Amino acid sequence: MAAAMVLLPGENIPTDKLPKPKKGKLTLGPGLQHTPPSTISATTAGSLQVDHRKAALWLEHAGGRYQPSVGDLVIAQIHHSSVETFSCALTPHTSFAILGQLAFEGVSKKTRPQLKAGDVVYARVSKASKWEDVEIECFNSATGKAEGMGQLKGGMVFDVRPAFARRLMMGTDKEGVSKGGVVVLEEVGGKVKFEVAVGRNGKVWVDSGSVRETVMIGHLLRGADEGGWDVEGQRKAVKKALRDV
Amino acid sequence: MPHATRPSTNESAFVLSALRENLRLDSRALDQYRPISLKFSSDPDVYGQTDVRMGKTRVICNVSCEVITPYSDRKFDGVFNINCELSPLIGAGVEIGRPDQAELLLSRLLEKSIRRSNALDTESLCIIAGQKCFHVRADLHVLDHDGSILDACCLALVAALQHFRRPDYEVHGEQVTVFDVREREPVKLTLQHQPFCVTTSYYDAGTIMVQDATLLEEQCREGEIVVSMNRHGEVCQIAKYGGVPVDALSVLSVVKQSWEKVKMMDSVVREALSKDERERDKGGRMKAELSAENERVMERPVG
Repeated sequence: MAAAMVLLPGENIPTDKLPKPKKGKLTLGPGLQHTPPSTISATTAGSLQVDHRKAALWLEHAGGRYQPSVGDLVIAQIHHSSVETFSCALTPHTSFAILGQLAFEGVSKKTRPQLKAGDVVYARVSKASKWEDVEIECFNSATGKAEGMGQLKGGMVFDVRPAFARRLMMGTDKEGVSKGGVVVLEEVGGKVKFEVAVGRNGKVWVDSGSVRETVMIGHLLRGADEGGWDVEGQRKAVKKALRDV
Repeated sequence: MPHATRPSTNESAFVLSALRENLRLDSRALDQYRPISLKFSSDPDVYGQTDVRMGKTRVICNVSCEVITPYSDRKFDGVFNINCELSPLIGAGVEIGRPDQAELLLSRLLEKSIRRSNALDTESLCIIAGQKCFHVRADLHVLDHDGSILDACCLALVAALQHFRRPDYEVHGEQVTVFDVREREPVKLTLQHQPFCVTTSYYDAGTIMVQDATLLEEQCREGEIVVSMNRHGEVCQIAKYGGVPVDALSVLSVVKQSWEKVKMMDSVVREALSKDERERDKGGRMKAELSAENERVMERPVG
């Protein structure tokens, strides 16, 4: 893939860019809309990404606004609790997401989770539609296990852009190269022990033993996000930061 | 629409424990200001427009003037107004025309620091007593909020007032001719002194004092003390609206710390102003040749 094509909202994708699907079905990802019979247009501004193997296309945009979609892991802050549910905020100034009080591992009607306003949980979006409240859960409803979700105690929550959070969660491909181009956490993890949880809504929770180390990790995350450091730049910054601590 | 979320318990606990270890999230010292960037309008005909950035906080100020009839109870004074607005660009919770408490406090503190301290001499704005005077208005817009908006607003305003030039005029008996900028070089305003505001946030029952707090630090603080003073050490006002009680000796040490910061802000403004003046004079025109202004005696008349 050469330089990715940048599209503005409303532009149609030229047919020569479309991948040839084997089964005749093309998967459209975020940022694209299909108007039958055969026009695909962009709904946001972004660069077009094509995966020929899976016959999928989507737009990558560096937006600052997070929109919940099913299956996303998010860091939610409890705002208030009611009889059966907690109302949580995923992003400021938006409607609350509903977290059922029983949507945790190992709770029953008699033993409810002890969460207060201001507590932070790691959850997965179970329902997200334009016309209903977003619903999140802190356990895998199929298996009943927490799988790392639940209340996050201590540590610090840093704000990053949702696109950066997505890159952080992309993982590594077969050669061990980070797909998202973000290596700060792995590099720092080589020297410093810490726990981290990344929320797709633009929040990263970090808990290291000491305040100084957590501040350093937060500083590195912010630099990689806003400073736009590439992989080499990130490695250099991590080395420098580790020397100072 | 719910209000902006307060920081989570994790965040406020962390900020507090970091401050107890003398650490801030952006690795500054407790009394260190973020780098201040002050820019004037690049248009050579436009005076009195400033753009101030302190970290992510951004404020713009525009000073303008017109000729009006003075108030009947203040025949010898011109009129000076400050209008400060938080723009909805800051966040979804801000609406124009419906000021919330933070905006009202911001306006009130700016009024106290600049208008009531007579930073701008309104008598110098009078053209003919009782008939004509200048109405100088300063409009401030806060475009981005990451803490310390009052400090940034005051700096933007004082820099804009020092940069602004009003039209020159001549009085012959009852006849006033106000010259256009193309006819005569406009004239600077008479500022008696340049006040700046320094906000000090405190934590842990007043034992930890922090200057230039970011938005997160402001949301976790127990209270704040705002000191307005000029570089000579003359205090215009001290404000502490509620918050956890602080003992008097701490307030005195805060005032002393603020003096150092005010001197720093004053040098930032002076440097930016002289740099701007050098750039505007690039054509080699001698400002002294073009100005119709006589040498002014800068003291207030006695009595």
